[in-house]
Amino acid sequence: MNAHASHPRLRRTGLYALVAVVLATVLVPFGWMVLSSFKTPAEIRGLTDSWLPGGLYLGNYQGLQDTSFVTYFVNSMVIAVGTTSIAILIAVLAGYGLARFNFVGNRMLLIAIVTMQMFPAVLLAVPLYKMLSTAQLLDTRVGLVVVYTTFAMPFCIWMLRNYFLTVPVEVEESAMIDGCNRLTALWRVVLPPTMPAVAAAAAFCVIQVWEEFLYANTFIDSDELRPLSVGLNSLIGQYSTEWGRLMAAGVLMVIPVVLIFAFLQRFLTQLAGGSVKG
Amino acid sequence: MTVTTPVRDSASRPPPAQQRPIPLRRRLTPFAFVAPAVVMLVIMLAYPVGNAIWTSFNHEVATEPGQGEFVGLDNFRAVFGDPDFAGTAVRSVLWVFGNLVLQVLVGLVIASVLNQRMRARAVVRSVVIIPWVVPTVVVALMWRFMLDPSSGPLNELLLSTGVVSEPPLWLADTELAFPVLILISVWKWTPFVAVILLAGLQSVPDEVREAALIDGATMFQRFRYVIMPHISTSIAMASVLTIAYSINNFAGIWLFTRGGPAGSTETLTTLAYRYAFQAFDFGRASAVAVVLFVFVFLVSCVYFYIVEGRRR
Repeated sequence: MNAHASHPRLRRTGLYALVAVVLATVLVPFGWMVLSSFKTPAEIRGLTDSWLPGGLYLGNYQGLQDTSFVTYFVNSMVIAVGTTSIAILIAVLAGYGLARFNFVGNRMLLIAIVTMQMFPAVLLAVPLYKMLSTAQLLDTRVGLVVVYTTFAMPFCIWMLRNYFLTVPVEVEESAMIDGCNRLTALWRVVLPPTMPAVAAAAAFCVIQVWEEFLYANTFIDSDELRPLSVGLNSLIGQYSTEWGRLMAAGVLMVIPVVLIFAFLQRFLTQLAGGSVKG
Repeated sequence: MTVTTPVRDSASRPPPAQQRPIPLRRRLTPFAFVAPAVVMLVIMLAYPVGNAIWTSFNHEVATEPGQGEFVGLDNFRAVFGDPDFAGTAVRSVLWVFGNLVLQVLVGLVIASVLNQRMRARAVVRSVVIIPWVVPTVVVALMWRFMLDPSSGPLNELLLSTGVVSEPPLWLADTELAFPVLILISVWKWTPFVAVILLAGLQSVPDEVREAALIDGATMFQRFRYVIMPHISTSIAMASVLTIAYSINNFAGIWLFTRGGPAGSTETLTTLAYRYAFQAFDFGRASAVAVVLFVFVFLVSCVYFYIVEGRRR
């Protein structure tokens, strides 16, 4: 007899206990960050006994106005919009090409695209630094957009290609008989049903931009051009003792990715599965 | 990693056996679609990889005049000859395998839990995955505060409950910092592994699972003979990706400790960065990066093998 099968209630309890532990491990640091962002400096230093903030203290958030936080935020948005639009445009074309045409080396290219995700970023830091320097794109947001586009593209291509495969070729063929060429057929017939995948790929690009630190830290020098990842880190250096203000910055930085993620969530299995699916 | 292969091969492609030859314009269409991506990847990925490998054989220090003198293996000799190199290499391996083992084991447990029927499963699944999408810099901020020796909540808790009498310095402690960084990295990346494994678990047919249960298979037997065959590919994929991502993880170390205290969290990735952008010795930095690259390349081959193997 199986011990677990014979005690369904015990099994349930064990399951929920495990779920509780996992959720707590994930949520406690977040909860602490959010709570602390509403605490007064005295509360943070532990001068009161309570672990909860005494009231809704907004001083930490207001205090961010004295810092470059807003500039960093705008920079990240600009870079994210640039990266996402270019990466999606190129990836739609390439993903469609790989899904529809059977040319020699197609599989090799696909494998190359996927394995490129694994390249050591630090290997490319030096040559990219030199290239951006030659192109006078060092210390510009455009430079970062170009680099980020390259790194976000392989995954977008992979994901879109998998979706394009699910669109029946017949739909497209009939559109072409009706006078569409390949491009207009792609735009009018193939793209609409794959919009969810396009949106998910776009969300992926934004998350990448929010995450990336190494290149932003290396290629951007001016404070007023820094994106959030590097900007928040420099705030940590400047305001190392003002935890409340830093926590407020952290909360604001996380909000966009959590919102995007909430939307992305239903594609998640496909997203992570993208690396598994053949 | 030759992205150009398909383009070159196209020239030698025999024309399709059809009565009317397809016009050149039509035959070039496929390449027109892929071209922007290929051009971009060649310029921004393939060329830099080649350039980095070439730089590793050159004496190239950004602060010195007279760039790019070919010096053969001098950079590699200098890098390997550094008394700290062996320690850093060993630490990198520990970093990779610590991450790998913990993430796959914990990921397997989490995936199994998320695969059970339970209330609010969709919500639980989304919440569990959050750390993966949160930027490393915020993860660093959160955990640096949690672990702050004086005002962090963890030490407060440990001291008030009497678990410790001396507040641990965590990230400032040469012995604790490295394991703590591994745990934080596991905290951030395990959700990703769990999602891949969950996809594998969902491919186990319910009937098979139930049949094994009815036949009285023990939990271990069910896992070993019923579930394992279905998720072995997922585990292999997750492992390969975890190895590649963790060896390349720069922010996960730099944003917490910058390789310190006293070099106790330095890995090959932070070392390469230090050579490049603190010493501005591009040659040696590239040598370290090439070592990393070879490692990741071998891992990629395994990945390739798995993808291909599964196809058959």
